Amino acid sequence: MLRPLNLDFTVPLAKRWWIWLSNILFHWNWGLNPTGGSVNEQISYRIWVSAELLLGATIIATVVGISLGIYTASRQYKLADRIWQGISVFALNTHIVVAALLVVYIGISINRALNTTVFYVTGSSSFDVHGIWKFIDALQHLFLPTVSLVIVSFAGTHMLQRSLLLDNINADYVRTARAKGLTRHQAIRKHAMRTSIIPVATQIAFSIPGIFGGAVLTETIFGWNGMGRYMMETLQKNDIHGLVAVSAFGALMTAIGAILADIFVVVLDPRVRVN
Amino acid sequence: MTMQNEVSEEKVAVPVPPSKKRTSMMRLYYRRFRRNKLAVFGVFIIFGLVVFSVFGPMMTEWNYADPDFTALGAPPNGSHWFGTQKSGHDLFAQVSHGVGRSLIIGFTTSILTTLIAAMVGTATAYFGALGPAGRRMEKVMLGIINFLLIIPSFLIIALVIKGYGGSWQLLILVLVIFGWMGAARVIWSLAMSIREREFVTAARYMGVSSGKILWRHMVPNIGSLLVIQMTLGVQATVMAETSFSFLGLGVKAPDVSLGTLLGGAQDVLYSAPWLFFIPAGFLTLITLAVAFIADGLRDALDPNSSAGGRA
Repeated sequence: MLRPLNLDFTVPLAKRWWIWLSNILFHWNWGLNPTGGSVNEQISYRIWVSAELLLGATIIATVVGISLGIYTASRQYKLADRIWQGISVFALNTHIVVAALLVVYIGISINRALNTTVFYVTGSSSFDVHGIWKFIDALQHLFLPTVSLVIVSFAGTHMLQRSLLLDNINADYVRTARAKGLTRHQAIRKHAMRTSIIPVATQIAFSIPGIFGGAVLTETIFGWNGMGRYMMETLQKNDIHGLVAVSAFGALMTAIGAILADIFVVVLDPRVRVN
Repeated sequence: MTMQNEVSEEKVAVPVPPSKKRTSMMRLYYRRFRRNKLAVFGVFIIFGLVVFSVFGPMMTEWNYADPDFTALGAPPNGSHWFGTQKSGHDLFAQVSHGVGRSLIIGFTTSILTTLIAAMVGTATAYFGALGPAGRRMEKVMLGIINFLLIIPSFLIIALVIKGYGGSWQLLILVLVIFGWMGAARVIWSLAMSIREREFVTAARYMGVSSGKILWRHMVPNIGSLLVIQMTLGVQATVMAETSFSFLGLGVKAPDVSLGTLLGGAQDVLYSAPWLFFIPAGFLTLITLAVAFIADGLRDALDPNSSAGGRA
C-alpha cells in the first residue's frame, strides 16, 4: 500500500531518495502532495497564472522606469525632475502591502461610485465568460495587481537610469556627437543611452527572482492562485514535494535572470564580443 | 550651546582666525548632515516615533492585548483615538506597541547584521593580503558567502518561524543569521583596497595581531560605509518583518507589529478603513524617515558624494 507512494519504511532511505530523485530527473514527476494530488498538475497551471501577472508588471515597470529616467535626466533640477524624483522616493519606500491594499481600496471605491464591477479585487479570472469577453475579463482582473507591482518596482529603475544617464550626458563622446550635428535628443538617444542602459538591464534581469518574492504578497492579497500563493499553501500544509518544486522554480528564475543579464550585456555592449 | 555657536558662526560667515580650534571630524559630519533638510526631518520623525512607542501606551487607558467589548470595530473617537479592531482591541495602543516592535526588530537586527558582516567582510579581504595560503583562504570564505547567498532564505526563515511560532526574539535571530551575507560581500569589495594600504602592511610587520589589525585599522576605515549600510538595513528589516508578519509567519497574536495590523486590516479594508490607513501611514513614515536619514548620512560621511556641497 505504501510502496507505490514511496513511503514504505522497510525500503532503505537512500533508495527511496533515489526513487524520488529519478522520478524528477527522468520522468519529470515532482511527486504527490499530502492529499494525493499531483504537484505537476498544480505547478503547470500556476506558472501561467504567475507569468501573466509578473511578465506584464515587469515590462510596464521597466518601460515606465527607463522613460522616466531619460525624461528627468534631460531636465535635471527642473520642476518635472523634482516632482518625479519625489514620487519615486515615495514609491521606493512604500511597502508592497501598503501599495497593494491602497490600490484595492481605490479600486473598491471606484466600483462603488460607478455601481458596477470595473475592477476585480480577487482572483485571476471569472468562470462564466466566453469569447472576446474573456480577454476583457482578464484585463479587469489584471489591472489592480499589476498597478500595485508597478508602483513598487518602477522607482528603482527610474532612479538608476537617471543617475547613470547624468553621468554620461556630459561625457566627451556625447559632446562630439552634438558637434557632428546631432540634435540633443538624438545624441542622448543614440550615444548616451547606449552606454547607460547596460547596468539598468543587468539590474532588471537580476530583479526577476525578487519580483517573484514580491508576488507572494501580491498574490496573497489579490487571491491569485500563482506560484507565490502556492508556496504559502505548501508551507502551511507541510507539503514537502510542492515546496521542493516551488524552490526549484525560484532557483530556475534566478538562473534565468543571470543568463538574461549576460545576454543583455552582449547585445547592448559593443565592447563585449562572443564567438 | 554648541549648536547656537554653530548657527551664529555660519550666519555671520566671518573668516575663522588661524588661532581658533580646528573643525573636528564629528562637527564636520554634523554640519554636512544638517545641510540635508530632509535628513534632519527624518531624524525628528524617528525621534518622535520612539517617543510615541515609549509613552504612547501610558497615554491611553487601553492595553494593546485587552479588548473593549463595548466598542467593537468603532471608528476613531474621543475614547479610542485611532478606533478599535472588530475584536475590540484599541488601535492606538496596538499601533504604539507595533511601532516599538518594528523599531526594536529593525535596529537590533541591523546593528547585529552589520557587525557580523563587517567582521567577516574585512577578515575575508585581509586574508587576501597574507600570501598564497591566505588568498586560498579568501577564495574559500568567498565561496561560503556566495553559497549562503543563494540559499532561499525566505523559505527557511518562514519554515523556522512557523515551527517555533511567533516570538520576536527568534525573528531577530533568524533575520540576522540569514541577513549578513549580502552586506559582507559589499564590505569585502571595499575592504580590498584598504588591505593594500601602507598602514595595514606596516602594522603587520610591526607584529600587531590579525584581530587587532581588523578591528583597529580596517573596520574604522570603512566606518562611514558601515553606518550607511546599517541605516539602510533598518529599513530593509522593517520591510521584511512586515512581510513576514503580514503573511502570518512573523510576530503572532497576542503580540502585535505593524505587519499583523496590516494583515488584520485586509478583510475589513472598506468597512473599517482606519484599520488600514493608520498602520500603513506609520509604516511609511518609518521607511521614508530612515531613507532620508541614510541619504543625509551619505552626504555627511562620503567625501566623494557630490550632494555634499562645500564643507
